[in-house]
Amino acid sequence: MTAETLKKKLDETGYIYDDTLITTLLVALKLGRPLLIEGAAGVGKTEVAKVMAYALGRELVRLQCYEGLDESKAIYEWNYQKQLLSIQVGMGGKAEKDGADTAELTRSLFSEDYLLERPLLKSIRSEKPVVLLIDEIDKADEEFEAFLLELLSELQVSIPEIGTIKARSVPFVVLTSNRARPLSEALRRRCAYLYIKYPDIEKEVAIIKAKMPNADDRLALAVAQAVHDLRENENILKKPSIAETLDWVAALEALGEPDLTPEVLQKTAGFILKNEEDIAELGTAAGSCGCTEHSDGTVCEGHGAPGHHCGHHHH
Amino acid sequence: MDNSIYLSKIAEFIRLLSEEGFSVGTKEAEDACKVLEMTGFEDRETVRAALKAICAKSQAELSVFDRTFDHFFVSAEQKLANLKKALKEQQELEERRRQAEEELARDRQFLHPDDEMIGGYAELPEEEKERLRKLLGKFRDNAERNPKLYEGFIRSVFMRSIMEQQLMMEDSELGVQELDPEIGLLFRDISQINDSEMPRAVAMIQRVTRQINGELSAKKKASAASKGALDFKRTIRKGLETGGSFMRLKYKRRRSKRRRLVLLCDVSGSMIQFSEFALRFIKAMSDVSESSQTFLFSEDMVEVDPFALQDMDQFVSYVRKTGLYGKGTDLGTALEKLCAAKPAVLGPQTTLLIVSDAKTVKLDSAQQSLLRANQLAGDVVWLNPIPQRKWSRLKSVQTMSLLCRMVPCSTLSELARECRKLALG
Repeated sequence: MTAETLKKKLDETGYIYDDTLITTLLVALKLGRPLLIEGAAGVGKTEVAKVMAYALGRELVRLQCYEGLDESKAIYEWNYQKQLLSIQVGMGGKAEKDGADTAELTRSLFSEDYLLERPLLKSIRSEKPVVLLIDEIDKADEEFEAFLLELLSELQVSIPEIGTIKARSVPFVVLTSNRARPLSEALRRRCAYLYIKYPDIEKEVAIIKAKMPNADDRLALAVAQAVHDLRENENILKKPSIAETLDWVAALEALGEPDLTPEVLQKTAGFILKNEEDIAELGTAAGSCGCTEHSDGTVCEGHGAPGHHCGHHHH
Repeated sequence: MDNSIYLSKIAEFIRLLSEEGFSVGTKEAEDACKVLEMTGFEDRETVRAALKAICAKSQAELSVFDRTFDHFFVSAEQKLANLKKALKEQQELEERRRQAEEELARDRQFLHPDDEMIGGYAELPEEEKERLRKLLGKFRDNAERNPKLYEGFIRSVFMRSIMEQQLMMEDSELGVQELDPEIGLLFRDISQINDSEMPRAVAMIQRVTRQINGELSAKKKASAASKGALDFKRTIRKGLETGGSFMRLKYKRRRSKRRRLVLLCDVSGSMIQFSEFALRFIKAMSDVSESSQTFLFSEDMVEVDPFALQDMDQFVSYVRKTGLYGKGTDLGTALEKLCAAKPAVLGPQTTLLIVSDAKTVKLDSAQQSLLRANQLAGDVVWLNPIPQRKWSRLKSVQTMSLLCRMVPCSTLSELARECRKLALG
């Protein structure tokens, strides 16, 4: 795949990209390496896997990581209940009298009939190559990373009762991390790396326009500016994500608010900030600005703490 | 274009990255060559992005990568400008050395200027040179009459001045290195973090502790979820629901042993900012904080009311109220009181964490008390804000580091690493 083809495909999905992202994706594809994407929550890490599934015309297999995730939930598990039932059926029937059948039954208990495929195994046993998304790998514990290493480097899974299962097709693997904990060096070494920052104002406006083509240009810019300022504000604990920006624009459009005045900002703060302290901080920041109306679009600088803008008057 | 010329450059670049501490080797060089054959070398930014994807593996490495890349792959104009700059700097340096040599030659009889002294003297700021010149003027007559008596003294004043200047330059270099302000603050000497940077530093501490708490929580869940031995009792009881068949197997859970942490923080003069940072880290780590007890000391020691530390922004005013602020350091008295406390504070399940620069009065009594604390507590860890390279010059640090595990924590990054170790065990 060339850069131009990939760009064209991403354009079709409405994903806003830059040249670094395109080059990194091509590098990962060319080398057949997994792509590790880090960045704050809500910057579009997971979306990369989704758009790549579309661009490559592959199925997306997703593994959501969480604390305590182990190989039985991620790779494979024996269907214990089914095995138990088979034993009971076998014991009740003729197998009881026939030693050979009992041995056969024991062997069959660890065959593929009783194997429950989980996302990782499914992704390598698929006839057609897939895009495998291992989401929020930082939430899983370190032991799980060790399981992943074999899969990512050798493209195979070892099941003690069956043996080694080799990949039928090579998946394009995307790992995402919010950096809740540092990942091991071994895992990092096997991956191509991409760090996604929060978008700048221009890019955020482009995202809003791509996802909501009917949104008012002026409102999109004001929202992007306000969100940018909130992210710059160090007192805001939970920085707004891109999804929240889109929700906010949708809410403002639904309310029919053409301007982002301090009143509107306070009224709709719940769409962009998700805890009480942050909303209180927004009140302080907007309050310290001291402005009530700026219908003429004037810029008021020099009041309020740096980076604390009410967001409606910077277009 | 013959790409093989560039490929050898790539190998050289990978070697440079490796020297910068990147975990890269032959595999990365091979991958880089493969990819660059595809992308070509025409566009500098594409080459940068491709190499970055292969070689940089964390956010901290990104800025180091960019710096190394910009130094290695310079444009022709930049190369010329760098060359001119380097030439000019070299000429200036030679001129300064020549002047220093001339100046010191006059007193060579008792000063014995060698290369190290001339080079160091040439780099001294003008006011420092002036101070040394005055010193020479004052002692010259005597020194010329009796060079043997004075040469040791005058030489030592010169060399000390030169060494101090070199140390200052080492410290200032830490600031120059940072390209990414967010990451840079983590690696800056804590004593150089100024008031205006405090909110950023506090936000960074919160972020790092959130990471540590995430790890702690994951570790706890993982150990709870990890299947220990089969719990027969619970399995049989559960099996009764399914007519005696063991459809659901039950496993035993592991119990984690929690260690108690006792913090002894030096809040005398220059230590207050470091202690504040250390306490912010430790208090924000939920598990550690729950089972910890904090004591502050300078000339005396007081136990901290846990509620008083809930708002760390009020820490300095709290220390002022305790009457410890602005006094000297007496570690011996503090440790003595801690060991004698009733009910006992230190025990085999306790880790004593001392946060201090070890600049204490009554070193002997401090030594004795530390030995006693070592016997009572399960473990003693000392977080020292003085960079390790300066330890050899401080007698108290050398002595104390022999008696317990002393860890250099001059930067937020080092402090975070040690707190993480404490929390995760």
